[in-house]
Amino acid sequence: MKKYIFILFGILFGFILSRAGATTYDFYAKLFLFQDLQLLWVIATAATVGMIGVAILKNLQVRSVLDGQPLSFAGKPYTKSLIVGSLIFGLGWGFAAACPGTALVMLGEGKLGALFTIIGIVLGTYLFGRRGSRGHSA
Amino acid sequence: MTEVIVWSGWIGGLAVGAYALFQFAMSGKHLGVSTGFGNFCSYVSKLPFFHKGDYAQPNNWRLWFIIGLPLGGLLAALTSPGEMALSFSLGAMYDQVLPQALWAKGLLLLIGGVMIGYGARLAGGCTSGHAIAGLALLHWPSLVAAAGFFVGGIIAVQLLFKFF
Repeated sequence: MKKYIFILFGILFGFILSRAGATTYDFYAKLFLFQDLQLLWVIATAATVGMIGVAILKNLQVRSVLDGQPLSFAGKPYTKSLIVGSLIFGLGWGFAAACPGTALVMLGEGKLGALFTIIGIVLGTYLFGRRGSRGHSA
Repeated sequence: MTEVIVWSGWIGGLAVGAYALFQFAMSGKHLGVSTGFGNFCSYVSKLPFFHKGDYAQPNNWRLWFIIGLPLGGLLAALTSPGEMALSFSLGAMYDQVLPQALWAKGLLLLIGGVMIGYGARLAGGCTSGHAIAGLALLHWPSLVAAAGFFVGGIIAVQLLFKFF
């Protein structure tokens, strides 16, 4: 049942992304042309708040509120494809002025260009899955 | 195009960071979006990749999270003073450099989307998972990924605005 609450979490996070300027196309151009670093400040502040919060949660040995499980502080593994993947992602980020989360939020705001981006993200994910399924019988 | 209210960067960042912590403390799940696009693929594809590991049970929190995101955008638009408008515009700056014809613009966005989707899976996450959640954990592979995202973004936008 816990999973259904994430529709509310998604609404909250989507709203915040919009208010943070992450769904405003111009901020992407201005960020990567070094004209207005709005989105860099968003990420830097979010990461800083996160670091402080993670340190506190770790120290207090907090358990998750919804299921009482201990919190896991493990990050994502380093893989050989991480660097090239992050560069490819970054190119798409700049070309489409969106990332996976913000493209979905933009659609909700009526920014229909995000439809193409979203279809592309699904397609790109699917292409990766095809590559990852090689050697298996379908 | 819908004009939404935008907070100053540090307040926006404070809210994003606080949200990520809230989600983590509530559910034990680190913020992340791009993996959820694979949940969708689980429903339309029989490829083994979309039916094992993260995707063994696709009806999970990630699916509901990405359903909520567009609703959050709708809420943000409805609570902004301007009229909500459906538009294919990408704002003043991108509209100046992207092709005018909808099919060509759409194709470019689609290709951008493919790079986002494919790149995120290769990198193991996106701006949410690596740059926000990963950096908060002081996790070095996420710092490398975040740097890669920015380098790619700078290259793409510099090319787009200097040569087109």
